[in-house]
Amino acid sequence: MSLSTVPPAVVDAAMPAPRRRTRFGTARRDYITIGLWLALAISVLIWSIPIIFMVFTSLKSEADIFGTPAFVPPWSPEWGNYVEALDRGNLLGAGANSLIIAVFKVPIGLLISAAAAFALSRLRFKRQRLLMGVIAMGAMVPIQVAIAPLFQVINGLDLLSTHVGVILPYIAFGLPYQTFILYGFFRSIPHELDESARMDGAGNWRLFLQIILPLSKPALAALFILDFVATWNEYSIALALLQSQDSWTIPLAIQGFQSQFTSAYGPLNAFTIMSVFPVLIVYLLFQRYFVEGAFAGAVKG
Amino acid sequence: MSTTIAPPAPPAGRKRSVARKRVAKASHVGFVAALPFLAPALAAYLVFVIGPMVESVRLSFFEWSGFQGAPQEFVGLKNYVRIFTQDPVFWTALGNTVIWVILSLVIPVALGLVLALALNRPLFGRNAFRSLFYIPGVLAPIAIANMWRWMYNPNFGVGVTLAEMFNAPWLAEIQWLGDRNLALYSIFAAFVWQIAGTNMVLFLAGLQSVATEHVEAAKLDGANAWQVFRNVTLPALRPVTVVVVVLTIINSIKVFDLIVGMTGGGPAQSTQVLALWSFTQSFGNHEYGMGNAIATVLLVITLIIVVPYMVWTARQEKHS
Repeated sequence: MSLSTVPPAVVDAAMPAPRRRTRFGTARRDYITIGLWLALAISVLIWSIPIIFMVFTSLKSEADIFGTPAFVPPWSPEWGNYVEALDRGNLLGAGANSLIIAVFKVPIGLLISAAAAFALSRLRFKRQRLLMGVIAMGAMVPIQVAIAPLFQVINGLDLLSTHVGVILPYIAFGLPYQTFILYGFFRSIPHELDESARMDGAGNWRLFLQIILPLSKPALAALFILDFVATWNEYSIALALLQSQDSWTIPLAIQGFQSQFTSAYGPLNAFTIMSVFPVLIVYLLFQRYFVEGAFAGAVKG
Repeated sequence: MSTTIAPPAPPAGRKRSVARKRVAKASHVGFVAALPFLAPALAAYLVFVIGPMVESVRLSFFEWSGFQGAPQEFVGLKNYVRIFTQDPVFWTALGNTVIWVILSLVIPVALGLVLALALNRPLFGRNAFRSLFYIPGVLAPIAIANMWRWMYNPNFGVGVTLAEMFNAPWLAEIQWLGDRNLALYSIFAAFVWQIAGTNMVLFLAGLQSVATEHVEAAKLDGANAWQVFRNVTLPALRPVTVVVVVLTIINSIKVFDLIVGMTGGGPAQSTQVLALWSFTQSFGNHEYGMGNAIATVLLVITLIIVVPYMVWTARQEKHS
């Protein structure tokens, strides 16, 4: 990322060739572009400090952490921190819990939301808009408003510290936003499709499963990825409902490791890095869906 | 309407009456036909979201330790009187929540907009820039809290290193998370880091709706960069700005993870916010009544913000 590796010509080549009138104009525009690029490069560097700092620490021995300045790279990487983190914290167990919860929660929640959005957008009944409004409101109320009684509900069902016991509330709290986004998306699908499908004898279910859902793949994919990440990262519901250490998800395990081994900075940072790895991979693989998801929200929201 | 499958259009008058008849018939059968699609969502929503919220309001009028079998004693408005008059932490928490919301509406939103405007231009490596700014948004807030806690470490953190680099010993003495006048803002910095990239992506999405023809036309008319931004770009960004503002308010009212992970509300409760104080009262202090009274206050504040927005959106939709 050193500055000299990007000659002005490269920056220039990336620009679509606008019609340039004078030599003066060209030169000025280039300077502005280069200045902007430099400013962005410096900002990105500053933005990366927390991550760089964490990675460096995770690879330093205790002596190096205490003895060298924070931004000195770990010249002799101490991979033992990672081994120690795996050994001391229950990373794999927590990872398995998080994965099981996400694998069930995300598709089921999405299907339920899609069905509701279908009824709200493609079928007709009274007070339809009001119902959509009431559901959408759920997306805006902080979870903490309901968390103590929610604990009682799950406790009453005898589902504390179980996978099902968090999957159900996760589905419920994910519904409002997903239904709202899919409602907007479904409404943008032309109604003529419904009419011709019905003329061919399709009922509501066939219309939903064979026409609306396949046409909504982009929105569904975007929501799927966003929801996977959100589920993986969720902390406050899990904190209230997952009491036994065996049932902890990744965020609880991070926090648990942190409070248990407060001064084991190397392993702690190694633990955090390993815990965010799955999400980073998902992000890098499905990057474009994040943008599309944001887009759906921004345009339809 | 011009698909080949569509039958030839009937005369306008007849078509309208047919449509009206269909609507009339549908509203009778409608809900029954829609129910199978709605039932799972409504059931989950009622049992796990609406039910607990109503219960939370009910419990705010009771005194209860939260233990199964322990008696619930009706105390009327006593919990509210207590939180408003005898609980100094409540006012700190309310104040901090308000500060947090206001700061969030300014700093990360402005930063997101500036980044979006910069990265909407064709620049070398702009996709890499966008990704790097966005990545904090996909990390677990609790992981972010741990990263920043470590950065703020008074003995080995960034402050110490910077102090050595710039030969400014006072930098090493700042108690980022230990100073009760500073801790909230130190945590807020982590929030900015987490959220600015998300705002950037939203604004970038909004910028795609700025018509290049309008920009070109304004330029041809002799508008300078500022005038183009002020009169063409900004109006086109209005819908996405509303979304960003609403999301920002929602996300900052419920900020929880970052504070738990970095200070737990301390030092001396100086970084408490309503969401966390409610949780602490219910689960930590076993004051379910107080905890739910705070939750109810939070609910009311949220509704005061959300309901006008919902009504406004519904009106907009009707107009379009």
